Amino acid sequence: MSQSQTPLSTNFPASAPASGPNTLDIVNLRKVFGGRGKSGGVVAVNDVSFSIRRGEVLGLVGESGSGKSTIARLIARLHQPTSGEIRLNGEVVPHKLGGQGLRQLRRRVQMIFQDPYASLNPLHPVRYTLARPLKIHRLARGNTDPQVTALLERVGLTPALTYAAKRPFELSGGQRQRVGIARALAAQPELILADEPTSALDVSIRLDVMNLMLDLKDQEGLSMLFITHDLAGARYMSDRVAVLYAGTLVEIGPAVQVIDQPQHPYTQLLKSAAPKPDAGLTPDHIEARGEVPDLSTLPPGCPFEPRCPYAMPECKNGLPKLYDVGEEHQARCLLHDPAIKAQRAGAVAGYAL
Amino acid sequence: MNGLRILLRQPRSLVGAGILLVLLLMGLLAPVLTPYNPTSLEFSAYMPFSAQHPLGTTAIGQDIFSQLLYGARLTLLVGAVAGLIATLLSVALGLTAAYVGGWVDEAINALINVFLVLPGLPLVIIAAAFLRGGGVWPVILVISLTGWAWGARVLRAQAMALRERDFVQAAVASGEGPGRIIFMEILPNMTSLIAANFFGAALYAVLSEAGLSFIGVGDVSLVTWGTMLYWAQAKGALLQGAWWWVAMPGLGIALLGTSFALLNFAIDQLGNPRLGWGSVKSFRRTLPPAPAPNPNALLAVRDLDVGYVTPQGTVRAVRKVSLDVAPGEFVGLAGESGCGKSTLAFAATRLLNPPGEVLGGSVTLAGQDLLALAPEALRQVRWKEFSVVFQASMNVLNPVLKIREQVYDAMQAHGITDPAKLDARARELFSMVGIQTRYLDSYPHQLSGGMKQRVVIAIALALEPKLIVMDEPTTALDVVVQRQILQEIAEVRRRLKISIVFITHDLSLLVEMSDRVAIMYAGELVEQAPAHELYAHPAHPYTQQLMKAFPPMTGPRERRSGIPGRPPSLSETLPGCPFFERCAVRMPGICDVKPLETFRIAEAHTVACFLYDPAVSPATKELALSHAPNSVIAQPLVSQEVRLEPVPNPALH
Amino acid sequence: MPYLLRKLVILVFTLWMAATLNFVLPRLVPGDPVSVMLAKYQGRLDPSAVDALKIAYGLNDLGSPVAQYFTYLGQILRGDFGRSISLFPTPVSDVIGQALPYTLGLVGITTVLSFLIGSALGVYSGWRRGHPVADALTPIALFLNSMPYFWFALLMLYMFAFKLRWFPLGGALDPFPGPAFSSGWWSSLLRHSMLPVFTILITSVGGWLLTMRNNVVSVTSEDYLAFARAKGLPERRILSRYVLRNALLPSFTSFGMALGFVVGGSILTEIVFSYPGLGFYLYQAVVGLDYPLMQALFFIIALTVLAANFAVDLLNVILDPRIREGRA
Repeated sequence: MSQSQTPLSTNFPASAPASGPNTLDIVNLRKVFGGRGKSGGVVAVNDVSFSIRRGEVLGLVGESGSGKSTIARLIARLHQPTSGEIRLNGEVVPHKLGGQGLRQLRRRVQMIFQDPYASLNPLHPVRYTLARPLKIHRLARGNTDPQVTALLERVGLTPALTYAAKRPFELSGGQRQRVGIARALAAQPELILADEPTSALDVSIRLDVMNLMLDLKDQEGLSMLFITHDLAGARYMSDRVAVLYAGTLVEIGPAVQVIDQPQHPYTQLLKSAAPKPDAGLTPDHIEARGEVPDLSTLPPGCPFEPRCPYAMPECKNGLPKLYDVGEEHQARCLLHDPAIKAQRAGAVAGYAL
Repeated sequence: MNGLRILLRQPRSLVGAGILLVLLLMGLLAPVLTPYNPTSLEFSAYMPFSAQHPLGTTAIGQDIFSQLLYGARLTLLVGAVAGLIATLLSVALGLTAAYVGGWVDEAINALINVFLVLPGLPLVIIAAAFLRGGGVWPVILVISLTGWAWGARVLRAQAMALRERDFVQAAVASGEGPGRIIFMEILPNMTSLIAANFFGAALYAVLSEAGLSFIGVGDVSLVTWGTMLYWAQAKGALLQGAWWWVAMPGLGIALLGTSFALLNFAIDQLGNPRLGWGSVKSFRRTLPPAPAPNPNALLAVRDLDVGYVTPQGTVRAVRKVSLDVAPGEFVGLAGESGCGKSTLAFAATRLLNPPGEVLGGSVTLAGQDLLALAPEALRQVRWKEFSVVFQASMNVLNPVLKIREQVYDAMQAHGITDPAKLDARARELFSMVGIQTRYLDSYPHQLSGGMKQRVVIAIALALEPKLIVMDEPTTALDVVVQRQILQEIAEVRRRLKISIVFITHDLSLLVEMSDRVAIMYAGELVEQAPAHELYAHPAHPYTQQLMKAFPPMTGPRERRSGIPGRPPSLSETLPGCPFFERCAVRMPGICDVKPLETFRIAEAHTVACFLYDPAVSPATKELALSHAPNSVIAQPLVSQEVRLEPVPNPALH
Repeated sequence: MPYLLRKLVILVFTLWMAATLNFVLPRLVPGDPVSVMLAKYQGRLDPSAVDALKIAYGLNDLGSPVAQYFTYLGQILRGDFGRSISLFPTPVSDVIGQALPYTLGLVGITTVLSFLIGSALGVYSGWRRGHPVADALTPIALFLNSMPYFWFALLMLYMFAFKLRWFPLGGALDPFPGPAFSSGWWSSLLRHSMLPVFTILITSVGGWLLTMRNNVVSVTSEDYLAFARAKGLPERRILSRYVLRNALLPSFTSFGMALGFVVGGSILTEIVFSYPGLGFYLYQAVVGLDYPLMQALFFIIALTVLAANFAVDLLNVILDPRIREGRA
């Protein structure tokens, strides 16, 4: 994955060489909403870079307004990126895409949406919803029923013929989300973007939907971007995890490592705030000032600085770079700067984790 | 199709369609209903009513009845055609604006705004005055061209909302082109709005045509109800006492307009059902006597039955639920969506709106029967004795009033009127929940979601009630803010010794926060126990599986499974346990036939599961447990069996 | 204030559109309006009137349509609408000056009254849903709203002026009402305006009723209302500070559209009662093919409606903090 790396991508996290190119590389992806010219506007995604290897699930974690859904929509070209590069299997996705190119991109990248009650057209039966991607991308000739049936069986909706005839209002939330997954699979994509696919579902069926996605990944080698606000869910689903705060990537690394030993103060805060069903009955007390900042008035330095218990004057001097903090594990925090580390020996242990 | 069926059940749309049908038949069957030509001048002027001329004749000897019948044709035609053209224009412009966006949208929107405020009729008059004499079509054209803006505005807004909906985004993401997006995804979802809009435009068209014809622009040689009025006026019908010549065509127009308006109104309700909700029934208590409440409890809910009465039948959302809350106790109420937990809370606090209704049971707060309170007595008890924090903190604050007024009015309603006292208390409350007091003078939209929820909690604490019911107060918030607010709730509650009923679907959160946890499933309270007991020894198979249904934050990564299936429909009457279908350890022949019973398995631990029924043979239980795919589930059930003891009506403590 | 500025821009833009329509419409007619009028008056037209006509339509100087257009806009800006044909040689602005007070009085008073009465009934009907009287108001309002104004006016005229002779048959004043603003003059004015006022009230009240009812019903299902109830606020306070404050706002927003409709209806009412307002003269102009007067009247009516709309927008800004900050 070295041949096409641009000199711009100093923030690009190292990836172990896998067989062939990564399914997805995004390099310094940026999205500014509103505002004309260079000034003004809301920076929703601030020069984010990461990659997803073949057959890998990358968990993208953040709170509302962190830009996690925007990234998925940029990759799927529901929004136009302001700048930056997206590569699919090593090929650069052109900044300008016409009808044909766009259609091709949309075959290769498919989305699963958060709310299964909103993401299926209430007027169309399941059969229509699943047959459309097959027809758009010319993956079926004539009768699409056999393929629709196969899709429904793959997502565990049997008897498939019964489900094919149903309309969304006849299905439960979990069943709808399975239809949503089947729709994403229909186009035989290389990459699936799952935007909080379980957060609108009831607790009792969340795990089954997650398990289905894990099975599909294992059996069919799908690559997936799994967006969530739930650290435990990200840990369950992902091989690696990336943490976003206010549009900026603050930490990335192997899932278990990032969540068990978070290295960025924000990830630590997120972890201490999460409900922990397994941890017993004594909740942690968390120290957190304020809320996620208004994206149109971000501080010049580290976006987390105003809320950070370790904030130092240096933090205001511009966005810190990503420091290596472990194998394949990086955190964007000055506490990991060797010079500062030397000054305040062993300081990253504030939160009870 | 479904909408059409609902429509035909409504009296309003039925009457509207009925009138329209009669008027339509009048026009269509005119040659059958009258032998006369509406324009022939064969009779003498101003003939009175007779069998031959049911409505007499005009000043120049035409039969008014036949004019009325034939006039219906053109009047209906103008209404229908102009309504149709205007609607087509509305749809085309509204959809184009919403779909294309950018400067096209801005241009169309400006045009819409211009046509909305330009006085329509004067414009139609002068336009028609220039185009006069060309028959009915110039009139139709002018009316359509001035009548599209209102519809375009509504359709544009609707299409914009639809465009952002996930299913449209999903279609875009799957590669659909613009044509299919518009015609297969967006447009079909706007059918009822378009239909409503058509009838609105038709009403405008009929009234405009009548006005135009009346002042003589347009083609007065045609027979419409409008031109009939023109001739009646021109010939001084009223001065001759021939009032029916004026009254009849006008009545026709008014009836036609009413039928259009009724249809418009009825179809509008399909899309916006709130407008249709009939009555807000006042609460009348005709409930069977309930068992005596526990005198030690602050809040005692006894055998509460709550249902939603719908045309399709009663949905029994809460089924004979009993729950006590001791003074100072934090009780967590957990369950999946649709299990009845919020309904229980709303019914117990008398906040249930129609079609929800309490069907039985009692709710006692500090010895007072809440369900029996008269409105004024209830008003006085509210907030003073108990307060409520709703789920949607974003929407519970009145957007047009300053926060200060909304903190004050709760106190003012209960007798605190001294401004200095109000201000001091408001400041105290705000610092208690961690908001700067300067936000007292803000409007709700100036605050973030977390801050609004804090304001609501501050208001809930204003009169130091004995009980606060919190319905998913933090669900909509981010984890960090959620945790901050939970900490504050725990803190305040410890300090003020308030009882809290905390409702959420998040069991893990409840286990951390609560003294006692109650689990609901399909309208039934299936288990309640002290939090630590429930955490260590969940007894009900549902609770056990629910506790395992979260991905773990620590430990090895391993597959876990959720609970297969879905809860039963609440409109069904189930003979046995509602969890039977999904239960891994069910006992066929027992669980699905015996009416659900609750058993006490420890001092303060009750569970509604027949595995704890001493009347069921141990062999049957062993057999069921051996089928369990996961032995972890089975373990505590067996070990606790020795303590079984039936409790038909659990009264804790 | 960007909100008001935007509204002002729309106002000016709309006025410009009205003026342009005025300019374009006569030019869409096959043949030119002057010859149409000449044909109609068949030589009875004063030569100076013909000249005035030609000037009004820019037919005398053979400038390009663009030049004609700008000359025309300039004339409007100066308030110069040319001379009336049917009332030649009265300047159109004089006719309008005479008629405007009557229409403003009639329509202004009735609009305010009808808004107040209709909204009050709408609040009642929405708030007391389920009560038979409240529920009966909706279909009644739908019927009233569907009646042609002029038809109801005719029936009123027949009943109360022709048959019962309680009120005069038409006009705004008796032939000799006494000196202006004397008590006799006032009573004459009042007697003449009774029937028109009543007609416009009855026919327009239904619209406000329906609008307000819908708003109230929407507000009653808002979460903040449930919260206000839960707080134990007295009913009267809930109604005034929570329901009314929020239900009034969309009512104001739809005021503009409704106003255009009411003004249109009032015009026809004036015709029936020969009430010498803008509508009456508009009718005279249409009948007499008095194009300059017709166009000026349309322009003035549009201007009045727009001004009223702008006043309502101002009120909106005062009542809704969200608009004040440009968020709505």
